[in-house]
Amino acid sequence: MNDLKARKNQGLRALRRRLGKVQIPVALGMTLVWMLLFKGFEPRPESLGIAVLGFLVSAVIMMVFPMPPIVPGFRFRPVQCLRLFCHVLGKMVVASFQVTAQVFRPGPVRSSVVAVPMRTDSDLMLVCTAITASAIPGSVIVEVSQPEYVLYVHMLGVESEAGVQESKQVILTLEERIVRALGTRENVADLEAASAAVEENA
Amino acid sequence: MSELFVSVLDWIAILCILAGAMLSFVAAVGLIRFPDLLSRMHTAAKPQVLGMLLVLLGIGLRIMPVEETGVFDFGTLILVGLFQVITVPVAGHIAARVGYRTGRIRHDLVVTDELEDRLDARRQAERTRQNGGSAP
Repeated sequence: MNDLKARKNQGLRALRRRLGKVQIPVALGMTLVWMLLFKGFEPRPESLGIAVLGFLVSAVIMMVFPMPPIVPGFRFRPVQCLRLFCHVLGKMVVASFQVTAQVFRPGPVRSSVVAVPMRTDSDLMLVCTAITASAIPGSVIVEVSQPEYVLYVHMLGVESEAGVQESKQVILTLEERIVRALGTRENVADLEAASAAVEENA
Repeated sequence: MSELFVSVLDWIAILCILAGAMLSFVAAVGLIRFPDLLSRMHTAAKPQVLGMLLVLLGIGLRIMPVEETGVFDFGTLILVGLFQVITVPVAGHIAARVGYRTGRIRHDLVVTDELEDRLDARRQAERTRQNGGSAP
């Protein structure tokens, strides 16, 4: 009888530990995806049920497949996120035309691989910058050096030294937009300190 | 919704889908025309991203006035676009990295190569360390 009680206690403790693995912001994100999948944003009585069910499903998923927490986390700034979105979309349109021009221009296409050191030491910012840089035409991430936070980017059609500097600036601007949209306060402070240092050197 | 509004929406949708198809065509041409792996990566992954977003936008505008298609709605389209944009670069990155590491790169087409310098430096360091370790 005592044995049973001990086992029950153990089970409860394990359950509590698993419940601790649920990260609320990530669960909310998953709920959003769930709602989009099941038309949860139409004004109808089922919508609330879809939201609750979605949250429960995401909580269960995170308990069954526990994920390491996102260190050092992120902050969501809506206005800056909108600016980031417009920036990336604009870049995509412009760069698509540039790549199109390169495709139809006769002669061999030359390119460069440039190293861009990041100004913040956050894995999340590194990943976000790498993904957006890859999604924009004309640049592909070839290599990421994680301990030093350096991105190696292949730039299509960049031949001169000036072009190399310019393309580095493009990636750095992208990083700044992302950090301002999603970075923690420390990330933004790092970024501002780094850009201030660059300006002093110039 | 008025007839005129719907037909204007239809035209915008058709233009979007047409532009998306053109971009995909450009990607296909680039895939044939470009000489080396890294340049081909660009066209394999890219104009198609904007092209696909345009096609999705076109479909969205087209189904907006028509309620209840039953199969998908605007939310589904947003999800398709989002996951496409997030996942395409990952595959592209892996292919580019493997291609670079296994030497399938035409160095005469790469003008400035800062990664090559770094890999060289690292190989040099490893060699000296091995030599130092084997010496008595």
